[in-house]
Amino acid sequence: MAFRLGIEMAVATFLGAAMGYALDSFFDTKPWLMVIGLFFGVAAGGLGVYRVAQEIQFTDNDSNEEDQ
Amino acid sequence: MASDSHAAEHTSPLHHFEVHNIIPIPEIAGIDLSISQAVIAMWIGIAVVFGLFMLIVSRGVSPVPSKLQSIAEVLLEFVRDMVNEFIGKEEGKKYFSFVGTVFFFILACNLVGLIPGSYTITSQLVVTGVFATGIFLMTLVIGFAKHGAHFLSILVPPGVPKIMIPVMVPIEIISMIARPISLSVRLFANMTAGHTVLAVLFGLAMTAPGWISWAPFGFTVIINGLEIAIAFIQAYIFTILTCVYIGDAVKLH
Repeated sequence: MAFRLGIEMAVATFLGAAMGYALDSFFDTKPWLMVIGLFFGVAAGGLGVYRVAQEIQFTDNDSNEEDQ
Repeated sequence: MASDSHAAEHTSPLHHFEVHNIIPIPEIAGIDLSISQAVIAMWIGIAVVFGLFMLIVSRGVSPVPSKLQSIAEVLLEFVRDMVNEFIGKEEGKKYFSFVGTVFFFILACNLVGLIPGSYTITSQLVVTGVFATGIFLMTLVIGFAKHGAHFLSILVPPGVPKIMIPVMVPIEIISMIARPISLSVRLFANMTAGHTVLAVLFGLAMTAPGWISWAPFGFTVIINGLEIAIAFIQAYIFTILTCVYIGDAVKLH
């Protein structure tokens, strides 16, 4: 399950920047919303990775007696 | 594909990802409905799943399972455990058939693609993108049908102080929309990467001098074995994430 982590981070960062860029062209405020969106994307990626890691830890503790 | 000569096109490791029309059908309202090798590979995938289960059922199911029946039972119990764990025992019954269909179809398509000369439809971002987008829209519909406008509270994680809400909502929106993208890109990238590695190694085996060409060829055999494992793992990950996303919409924290 660990190889979920990388793609989670990359997609969220890219998506945050892309959404900021789209809003920029909409409101004509280049480049500020993209910068803010990039930070939000990094935060979302971090949050996603944190959740996946928590899940892995949770399921590992759960299945300790069966699997390992 | 930048190559202009016909020979170079055939040695390109990405050559086998191209879609060629096999039975051309004239365009209807600007949509190309031709039967390509991707469509045929999908039909084969469906036929494999349908054929396997029809074969098992037509032989008759018994309390003491035959060999084939126990394979089906193990696979179905595997899917049912996933559904039970992430969606819930009672709620999960409604979604079991959908999750099972997703799992078996993707698994069959991944495995069909490993037969030399066939086509892997899961190595096309369009195909996996449609799967993931469909699942994403489905979770939205389930959430709104079940919880109404209250479903929007999925954008606010529990235990967040009021001051943080304007910050958390955009973050949650981004991570929500990132779900179908990462779901589709993961499957597509894994399948594409594996088949490209295989193609490169086959290219090496074809062009290397005779006394050494057994080495890359041996590697293709080993990598093919690894690809079978990846076909299972990626089908499993796709299915388990489908369960997690449906479960999130059903349970709402």
